[in-house]
Amino acid sequence: MELKSGNQACSYIIQSQEEEIKRVALELHESINQNLYTLQTGLNFIESGIEQPELKNYAKEMSGLMERTIREVRLLSVELYPNTLSTLGLTAAVKSYAKLFTNTFGILIDVDSQGEEKLVSDPESLAAFRVCQEALINIAKYADTDKAKIAFTWGEFSVKIEIKDTGKGFDTNKVMESGRSMGIAAMGERMRLVGGQCNLTSELDKGTTVSIVLPIQS
Amino acid sequence: MESLKELILTECDRLKQGVPCDFVGVALQNRNDPDITWPYAMGNRNEKYKYITVRYGKGIAGKVISSGTPMGITNFPETILGKITDYPIMLAEKLVAAYSVPLVWNGLPKGALLIGYRNARQFDEHEEQKLREVAKHLESFLSSHFTDE
Ligand SMILES: Nc1ncnc2c1ncn2[C@@H]1O[C@H](COP(=O)(O)OP(=O)(O)OP(=O)(O)O)[C@@H](O)[C@H]1O
Ligand SMILES: [Mg+2]
Repeated sequence: MELKSGNQACSYIIQSQEEEIKRVALELHESINQNLYTLQTGLNFIESGIEQPELKNYAKEMSGLMERTIREVRLLSVELYPNTLSTLGLTAAVKSYAKLFTNTFGILIDVDSQGEEKLVSDPESLAAFRVCQEALINIAKYADTDKAKIAFTWGEFSVKIEIKDTGKGFDTNKVMESGRSMGIAAMGERMRLVGGQCNLTSELDKGTTVSIVLPIQS
Repeated sequence: MESLKELILTECDRLKQGVPCDFVGVALQNRNDPDITWPYAMGNRNEKYKYITVRYGKGIAGKVISSGTPMGITNFPETILGKITDYPIMLAEKLVAAYSVPLVWNGLPKGALLIGYRNARQFDEHEEQKLREVAKHLESFLSSHFTDE
């Protein structure tokens, strides 16, 4: 039996992994968090009926902990899978992730969009979203900067997205040779699988730019 | 009367004089919501701490607050549990070692006091003692943070 090319296998692995992540994220968001929310409402109701101050306080604290847990589960779910991607579109999903990113790492992200946003199908927009996410996380880990920029340029047949920081940059040749650049390689692979392109440029002490182009099927 | 901010920063300064750390930060639950932020810091390299919301149970301060027990990191990121992105304040301030104790109010951990170093180190009795002492003072100010007193 002839084995299929690596390309298809890679695409299959990425796709089934994404499906699994989506399942977990939706389970957390819809089923688990919904139950926690019901529990919290019940806890508040019980608390309102308690007279004894100590017990009342205890119930209040438990309700506070429940609220934090609900929040944490929601954030975890959003980090895993951007639920808004297929409803509100790529720009909105990236904007909302950028906000979460700022709250997490303290790095300000300016998201700018030029031209008219077009509808991008699910696998394509998810690939672009994952590249943005990986590029931002690299900025938090390595760029040593307090701000970055994401620029969308919508054309008729494609969208270009640039994720740019003016942080410390790195020697791309050295990093590629070292073989420790699987994250960057995966960005390129994801874009290639959906028919797009991914480019990374970096200069020491000047910063790094990840640039992707995604064709839009009309 | 001195403002709460002055009182807290004076304590942080005293701590920074007493132990040779590079960074001091106070994480505290907000007065009106359950979010935990970093309202006070000293020795910071940038303003990132102002925008960070501490995730409950994550990172050094998040773990100290959720567990109510002290925690130390001696050589970041070599010795940590989880991903390096779970430790935003270590990344933001380029800290390599940090030690943190809870700030307790009304019997519950409501914040964390953290000292950080930009090189690897083991923490000694003296530092931990000093940190607990300053944390005690900070705790005595928390009523005016959480109530109108
Ligand atoms: N924005 C950036 N600023 C500075 N250096 C960067 C940036 N992005 C990447 N690098 C450098 O490129 C290297 C490779 O990045 P890559 O994303 O492939 O791996 P990683 O982030 O270390 O690990 P992984 O992504 O697999 O978790 C990093 O170790 C870092 O040195
Ligand atoms: Mg990476």
